[in-house]
Amino acid sequence: MATPVIMPRQGQSVESCILTEWKVAPGDQVEEGSVLAVIETDKASFDLESPVAGTVLDLFWEADDDVPVLANVTVIGDEGEDASGFRPEIETASAAPSKDSAPPPTSSASAPTSETSVPATSIGTVSSPVLAEEGSVSGVSPRARQLAMRSGIDPESLLGTGPGGRVIERDVQGALEGTPRLSASASELARERGLKPPVHGGGLSGMALASDMREPGSIDGAEVVPVKGIRKVIADRMMQSLGNTAQLTLHAAFDITAAQAFRKARKESGEPKVSLNDVISHALIHTLLRHPDLNAHFLGDRIARFEKVSLGIAVDTTRGLMVPVLSDACCLSLDNLSSGIRGLAEECREGTIQPDQLTGGTFTLTNLGLLGVDHFTPVLNVPEVAILGVGGISIRPVRGENGEVNFVDSIALSLTMDHQAIDGAPAARFLKDLVEALEIYSGDPAENEKGESSK
Amino acid sequence: MKYDLAIIGAGPAGYVAAKKAAGNGLKVLLVEGKKLGGVCLNEGCVPSKTLLQAAKTYHHTLHGETFGVEADEVRFNLGKAHAHKNQVMDRMRDGIAGLMKKYKVEVAFGRATLLAGPAVTVDGETHEADNVLVCTGSSPAKPPIPGIDADHVVDSSGILELPELPGRLVIVGGGVIGCEFACVFGSVGVPVTVIEALPEICPSVDPEVAVVLRKELEKKNITFRLGAKVDEIGEDEVKFTLDGETQSVPGDVVLVATGRKPNVSGLGLEDLRVDVDERGGIRVNDRGATNIPGIWAAGDVTGRAWLAHAASRMAEVVVHNLTGREDRMRYDAIPAVIYTNPEVAVVGLTKEQAEERGLKVTTGKIPMGINARYLAEHPGESGLCKVVVEEGTRRLLGVHMIGGACSEMIFGAAVMLETELREKEIEEIVFPHPTASEIIKDVFMAVR
Repeated sequence: MATPVIMPRQGQSVESCILTEWKVAPGDQVEEGSVLAVIETDKASFDLESPVAGTVLDLFWEADDDVPVLANVTVIGDEGEDASGFRPEIETASAAPSKDSAPPPTSSASAPTSETSVPATSIGTVSSPVLAEEGSVSGVSPRARQLAMRSGIDPESLLGTGPGGRVIERDVQGALEGTPRLSASASELARERGLKPPVHGGGLSGMALASDMREPGSIDGAEVVPVKGIRKVIADRMMQSLGNTAQLTLHAAFDITAAQAFRKARKESGEPKVSLNDVISHALIHTLLRHPDLNAHFLGDRIARFEKVSLGIAVDTTRGLMVPVLSDACCLSLDNLSSGIRGLAEECREGTIQPDQLTGGTFTLTNLGLLGVDHFTPVLNVPEVAILGVGGISIRPVRGENGEVNFVDSIALSLTMDHQAIDGAPAARFLKDLVEALEIYSGDPAENEKGESSK
Repeated sequence: MKYDLAIIGAGPAGYVAAKKAAGNGLKVLLVEGKKLGGVCLNEGCVPSKTLLQAAKTYHHTLHGETFGVEADEVRFNLGKAHAHKNQVMDRMRDGIAGLMKKYKVEVAFGRATLLAGPAVTVDGETHEADNVLVCTGSSPAKPPIPGIDADHVVDSSGILELPELPGRLVIVGGGVIGCEFACVFGSVGVPVTVIEALPEICPSVDPEVAVVLRKELEKKNITFRLGAKVDEIGEDEVKFTLDGETQSVPGDVVLVATGRKPNVSGLGLEDLRVDVDERGGIRVNDRGATNIPGIWAAGDVTGRAWLAHAASRMAEVVVHNLTGREDRMRYDAIPAVIYTNPEVAVVGLTKEQAEERGLKVTTGKIPMGINARYLAEHPGESGLCKVVVEEGTRRLLGVHMIGGACSEMIFGAAVMLETELREKEIEEIVFPHPTASEIIKDVFMAVR
């Protein structure tokens, strides 16, 4: 009995996931729990496991396809069993035509093809142009096709500039002008592996040689990797952040003597270790509670100031920057805050983080101190209105009570804020309060607040 | 007057560049310190080939019985051979001078120095130029062997001027030049000993081809002492160490042919900070440009290829880049020839070179003797043709031949390499019958 495997829903907000890599091929035997594929949301990646043991009957998507959640991705069953009924009704222009299982050619691009597919697996929510059927002539003008045939190039592979993206004669001419003659060996590579020649080859009078042939989009002397998955999300978010906000960064530093003394005392009393980052997070959260302007989202026509602090923590992973969120962090003890941050970071690095744990932050903390950075200008995690960057420990001269100069270990804090939502002075006051809270840090924020209010 | 291009050196790089650039409308100055044509025409390729042909003619006359040609009292007259050689050189030099005149290339004789700007001074007179092409060639290298400065020790230039045949000739160096001169003198009856430090002669060619060449040369009064290190050149003998033993071989003339070195000194390259590589050649990119804008180099002075035809091509690449044509130097399909009797002609990669590049290859070889034309014309001679083919794609990677006058057909293999032909395309090419060139088609039947 064939069992379809669907793209699981990864969190409430996720509509589709990228299928980054297949781990199986049709015909492979799998066990229950075998990894079938690696899938990636915009925030994390996961293994897709087989729900049953059996034979992989068909793969419905190619690596790097953006697959809607709940769509069938593959079918596990008995060898020889027909799986075509489970093929989702894919509506995408980029997917390669599949000879054996694609629906028959339709006369119109938008005609439904439900006759040949199982309604239960059809996906109605994904909208994109219909896949061109093999042998279809709708996308290429007859003149273009004729010239292409004479010149030995595939008109279907060209980007059309005619009405509706139709390939017309000038597209073929353009392709011919930008294409050198190929050597016998080079044309085999073009035909069989889809490699492309440069505009000017390295052979006789610019003839493209086998050694000139490149993967489409490649750049000489560089390893070219597609921008996709998490990288794409980061790229989009960063541009969105820098393009849509008025970012200003304020720098300050705090004397870490009190924080270090606190950590040392804890260690000596046998309590679990906490890091300087934990201490900073703890003081930060409680300072934010007194500065709701900074614990906010800027939404264009309105600003949402949050009662509670849900702290985003920037985590460096092999797949890129991730920002897991410690929800309602303001309600946690220092110990639980410390273990919560550590746990989230581990899950990010291991790729087991749940998508819902990657949303909902009200303020973000990012620490590059361990990497030897003193100051930096963190980029806002929009729509949050502020982000705090933590630098490394450095020695700073301070004036003592009697006018003498003392050297203290200190850590730089870089607060980037959205000037649309908040002005420089209130942000500076927040930073000043945070510095003070850290410089008299005793583990009990209430003590701090008392101390400050009595000043 | 300001030139578009000043060229230092009128060898096969310089005069080809001059003609090509002037033909493209550039105003060209060609500076030469000695004679038009450079080493190639005056001290290298051309004179050595006339002497090789003289030796080959003598050899064929002497051994014509197989063809029914019987001759008594055959003598070799070195003076007449020199006269023919000089006539050829004069005629070719006149040809170059005529070409330069026709293309309105300004030719200046004298010692050239490079200046910043760039500019070139020739015997005190300064000529500005937008671009300068340095193609000053190379000179015989002089290894530090005691006795090398003696009068009876000559290099590849000096041996072309010998007034009479040596009694016994010793050649230090079993490379291309050493083998060619061994063939000249051995063929006309001079006992020749070639002393080579490496275990086999001609390390630049396919090892199997090198062995056949050595055996053919051994039939012509030539003895090889391989793996031998020369210790000293004495008045009438050369001492060398072989297998840990000091030995000596008598010789009244000693040719030292242990390689060449680029001519880079005295040009002012250091003052201009033109980059010279660790082997002493001017460092250029694949367009012939040095690190200094406007200064280009081509030929032996770059320390690459060491072949006249490669030098011409390098010069052509420079001119193309100066005149707006995209062109880059490729070294993978430059034929190399040893003009001995029989000739060696190779192009492309040997099996060993291909494997060093990580290619999976297969080879095939057949004796030249299966070819009717070759057999008819070269009785008693051994020859072979070997091809290197990439596994899978069956693309031709190299052709290595010895036998007859195979230098005349190697260009065909070069075309196949330049166009990256595979076995199945080569199969469809029609070769004239009967010609020795058919061996290039037939050898594929031996490729497994």
